[in-house]
Amino acid sequence: MKRSLLAVTVLAFALALCTSAWAGSVTYYSSPYWSAGQGGSSSFSSSWWQNIMAKNASFDSTITFIDNTSYGWHSTVRGYGTYLTTHWFSSQVKKGHCRANAAASTPATCTAVN
Amino acid sequence: MSRSGKLRRSIVVVAIALVGGVVVGTVVAAQSGGDAGPDVASLQAAIAAEPMTKVADVAGSESFSARGVYVQELETGHLCVWDAPSAASRERQGGCNATDDPLGGSAVSANLAYDGGPAIEGVRDARLTGLAASNVASVVVLMSDGSERRVHLKKAKLEAGDFFAFGYRFKKADFRKGVGPIAVIAQDADGGEIARQPTGIGG
Repeated sequence: MKRSLLAVTVLAFALALCTSAWAGSVTYYSSPYWSAGQGGSSSFSSSWWQNIMAKNASFDSTITFIDNTSYGWHSTVRGYGTYLTTHWFSSQVKKGHCRANAAASTPATCTAVN
Repeated sequence: MSRSGKLRRSIVVVAIALVGGVVVGTVVAAQSGGDAGPDVASLQAAIAAEPMTKVADVAGSESFSARGVYVQELETGHLCVWDAPSAASRERQGGCNATDDPLGGSAVSANLAYDGGPAIEGVRDARLTGLAASNVASVVVLMSDGSERRVHLKKAKLEAGDFFAFGYRFKKADFRKGVGPIAVIAQDADGGEIARQPTGIGG
């Protein structure tokens, strides 16, 4: 019985994780409101290939990948869409980065996909 | 307890655990910001499955191949505009808005995509792609030295309405001189400003 309970607990935990994050994605930054220049970055990894910013309303923002050697920007997109995305298919170690270019009173979330 | 009784009890416990796991996960997702903006998972699936229509070209240069401006009008109620090498390419860059407000409340909606930087001098390639309302006569890019770059507009008849589409590749020489875009301006037939969208490298 104890073994069954342990298995059930592990299963429930695994399901909770699966539901909170769709396949291979990590929400690395989110905020209910934004000031100009506010943003965040994911951890460094060679396996990130997509960067997404999802907003409740349109505002000026930028998403990019930053490599861990020159700290140069790659596949950057600046736009106003409520869903903004870019892809960088490179084995280089990189982090996803997102930022607001203007103040906005709207929630938004930044997600890196591997 | 009989063997079948134990089995039944195990099934009930597992079922409760499954429901509990999903509920906990949903709460975690909502609290971690998963409720911000469009449903990303369903939007991702629609973008991957639904067709793209080419509405404008992005000219090639001595170092870079031509690309296209593609539109997707999705079942999810979103209109997406992509800068991509081809309709089949996954290397798309851009964004989406609700189909009933594809320009985000403006007369022009543009995405600036670039490689290199964040310093202007370090930019290797940069492109501007987007849509403008049908009452717009011209779109120009205001550069940081005060000069303007006129963007070629191409009619785009979409389910969401009539628009102009545009794709523009910046000259590398501008970036070498430290000159970059600072705004996209939609104008009427007299050159009057209808809408302005700030943009720029490194922002």
